[in-house]
Amino acid sequence: MNRLSFHEEIRKNKINSFFLVGIVLAVLLVLVYTIGFILGGDYFFFIIIFGTIFSIIYVVGGYYKSADLAIASVHAKKATGIEYRQYHNIVEGLCLASGLPKPKLYVMQNQQINAFASGRDPQHAVVCVTTGTLDKLSKQELEGVLAHELSHIANYDIRFMTLTAVLVGMIAIISQLFLRSLFWSAIAGGGNDRNNNNTVLMVIGIVLAILAPIVVVIVQLAISRKREYAADSSAVKFMRTPTGLIGALKKIKGNSEMKISGAVAPLFIAKPNKKKEWFSTHPPLSKRIARLERM
Amino acid sequence: MVGTQIWIMIVAFTVIVAVFFIYYNRFVRLSHQIDNSLAQISVQLRKRSDLIPNLLSAVKGYMKHEKKIFKEVTDARKALMSAKTVDKKMKAGNQMQEALKSIFAIAEGYPDLKANTNFLQLQQELSAIEDKVAYARQYYNDGIMSYNVMTNMVPGKWFASMYGFKEREYLKIPEAARAVPKVEF
Repeated sequence: MNRLSFHEEIRKNKINSFFLVGIVLAVLLVLVYTIGFILGGDYFFFIIIFGTIFSIIYVVGGYYKSADLAIASVHAKKATGIEYRQYHNIVEGLCLASGLPKPKLYVMQNQQINAFASGRDPQHAVVCVTTGTLDKLSKQELEGVLAHELSHIANYDIRFMTLTAVLVGMIAIISQLFLRSLFWSAIAGGGNDRNNNNTVLMVIGIVLAILAPIVVVIVQLAISRKREYAADSSAVKFMRTPTGLIGALKKIKGNSEMKISGAVAPLFIAKPNKKKEWFSTHPPLSKRIARLERM
Repeated sequence: MVGTQIWIMIVAFTVIVAVFFIYYNRFVRLSHQIDNSLAQISVQLRKRSDLIPNLLSAVKGYMKHEKKIFKEVTDARKALMSAKTVDKKMKAGNQMQEALKSIFAIAEGYPDLKANTNFLQLQQELSAIEDKVAYARQYYNDGIMSYNVMTNMVPGKWFASMYGFKEREYLKIPEAARAVPKVEF
C-alpha cells in the first residue's frame, strides 16, 4: 500500500529537518568561531558571544518565520477571498480531499506560471502562486498545480525545503562576507604581525567558507528532485486524475523563468532559473510529464 | 543473570503493551478521521442548501414558466434539512444536485440570465461546492478503506474484535449518478 510509504516519507522529512537544523547550527557556530579567531584579536570574545547569540536566534527564527521570509522575499500579497474566489475554492476542495487544514493563500505579481508552498507544518503553511498561473491555466490545470503544492505540505517537504532555503542561504552569505573581508584586508596589506598559528586557522577558515556553500548546493540537490516526483504522484492521489497537472506542466514549459533569489528556487513547482539539468533542483518537466502520463 | 532476565521480561512486556496501545490509537484516529470527513460532507451540503434561496430569487424573474423545477429544488432542500441519517442526507444531496443541474441547463436558454453577474457567481459557487462534496466523499471513502483494511487484516482483525471496532460502510454513489452519459454524434 502506498499509504505506508508516504508515512515513511513524512517521517524521513521530519528527521532530516531536525538534522538540518542541527548541522546548520553547528556549521554557523564553527564559522563564527573561526572568523572570530582570525579577525577578532581584541574583540574575539565579543565576536564569539554576539555570533553565538545571533546564530541561535537566526536558526530558531528561521524555523518559526521561514514561511514569512519566503513570502516577503518574493513580494507576495495575501489573496483575498472575494477577489480570488476560484483559487480559494479549489484549495478548500483539495484540503477536503487530503484532510489538510487550509493554508494561507498568497499571490505574487508575475506573468510567468509558477507556484510554491512553504511553512513549518500543515497548520502553518502558505501557498503562493503567480498572477500568470491564475490567468493562464484552466480550472483543472490550476487544481493540478495546487494539488502538487498541497502534497508538499502534506509530505512535510515544506518544512525541510524552507529551512534549507533560509538557513543554508545564511551560511552562503556569511561565507561570502568572510571571504570578501579577507580579500580586502589582504589587499590593504594589513596584519603582518600574525604568527603561524593564525595562518593555520586562516586556511581552515577559508576552506570552511568555500566548502559551506558547496555543501549547501549538495543538500539542496539531494532533497529536491525526488520530492518533486513524490509530490506529483500524491497530487494525482488527491485529484484521482493526472490530466490537470499534465496540462499545467505542459503550459509551464518555457513559462516558468523568473528573477528569484537562488535560495527560494527549490520551493517552486518548476525551476525558476535556467540551469543545466544535473545542477538543477527540479527534474526536467518532460520527464515529469512522461511519468504522469503513465499513471 | 537474574538481573538480565528481569530486564528482558520488562522490555518484552513494554513492547506488548505498546502494540496494544498503538492499535487502539490507530482505530480511534481513523474513526475520528472518518467521522470528521462525514461532518465535512454535511457542512458542504448545508452550505449548498443555504445558497438555494439566493439562487431561486436570482432566477425567478427570468424563468417564470419553470414552476416544476423550482418545486424540485425546494423539495430537495426540505428533504436535506429534515434528513437525520447519512444515507438520507446523501440522497437528498444528490437529488438537489440533479435539480440544480436542470436549472443550469434551462438557464442556457436565457441569455439575459447568463449575463447576470449575481447568477454567474452563484453558479460558480455551487459548482465549487459540488467539487468539495465529491472531494469530501473521496476522503471519507479513503478513510473507510484504511479502516476496513485494518479491521480485516491480521493482526488488526484480532485487535478490532477485542476492542469492538466493526467494519464500516462506504458512501455509495446513487445509480442515476453512476450511469455513464451517452455521447451522440
